[in-house]
Amino acid sequence: MVRFKSRYLLCEVCFADPRSRQCLEERAVFSAVRDAIARAHGDYGAACCAVSFTVKYLNAYTGILLLRCRKEHYRLLWSALPFIIHLESRGQRQPCRISSIHVGGTIRTCQRFLIRYNRQQLLRMLPGCQSEEERESVHRAVLSCSLKQLEEEGSSRDEDSD
Amino acid sequence: MTDYIFYIFLDMAVEYFAGTIPDCIHSMRRHDTKKPETASYERLVFRNASDYHYMKISLIFEGGNIRLNAAHFKQLIISSLRELYGEIGAALPFDVLKFEENTLSAVLRVYSSALVRLWSALTLLGCYQGQPCGIRVVQVTPFLLALSGNSRELKLD
Repeated sequence: MVRFKSRYLLCEVCFADPRSRQCLEERAVFSAVRDAIARAHGDYGAACCAVSFTVKYLNAYTGILLLRCRKEHYRLLWSALPFIIHLESRGQRQPCRISSIHVGGTIRTCQRFLIRYNRQQLLRMLPGCQSEEERESVHRAVLSCSLKQLEEEGSSRDEDSD
Repeated sequence: MTDYIFYIFLDMAVEYFAGTIPDCIHSMRRHDTKKPETASYERLVFRNASDYHYMKISLIFEGGNIRLNAAHFKQLIISSLRELYGEIGAALPFDVLKFEENTLSAVLRVYSSALVRLWSALTLLGCYQGQPCGIRVVQVTPFLLALSGNSRELKLD
């Protein structure tokens, strides 16, 4: 039985300038990652990863990125991620850093991990809240983290309180 | 002839007393001995004969006299590796053990795990400074001693 197995890399994009996170685009990330693989692994790497490489999910508010590639070559993609230093968006180069936080075999496992990760991030942000209503909204966000509410996507509301 | 057979039996006797005969033969003599000693033999399997592989290659140009020295030659191979395997491939550790400028032939040494990458990069080497060229691989061996003799160049007088 032949089935194409893939690996999903859950990554986080950290910008030097937090405001430039809004201009995150799928096309920019796609071309940046593809060029980084071509530089780091040459023609062989570019061909290996070009077959089934896509950006599956991109969240501009939290900077979460989900990439997909074939199971045999996910290490090529993984090792090329640290070589990305800029992201082009609207003619400007934003210095950034991509770090991978999880590797999963399906989108569902990555989603489960992302919900747990977001809950930890929210709890980490709780001591830094300045006002009572911010604290309330963070509480509500943490309680609403669950897989059943698919439209919320694990409460990815980012507070600018840090 | 009888001496030969005698020596075989002597060898087997020595091995028996030294306890190195395998269990199948040992079980046949089990009624002789009161306490069977544990005959153990060690089986060593070498999947990879050696850590390094050595390649004897020669650089061939289509025409014209082009002089290279060893540093240029290594730079040429590294550029071919970089084109095919990127920056990480260009950092492949290999050594040019010998380079002859007259015949443009060389002996390379590379780790066995990296042999396929290096060989494929040598195959796809296209040109040097605009001149088309190619690499002919004469011999590949895991043992350096094998490079000393080649039956293709053997001269029988």
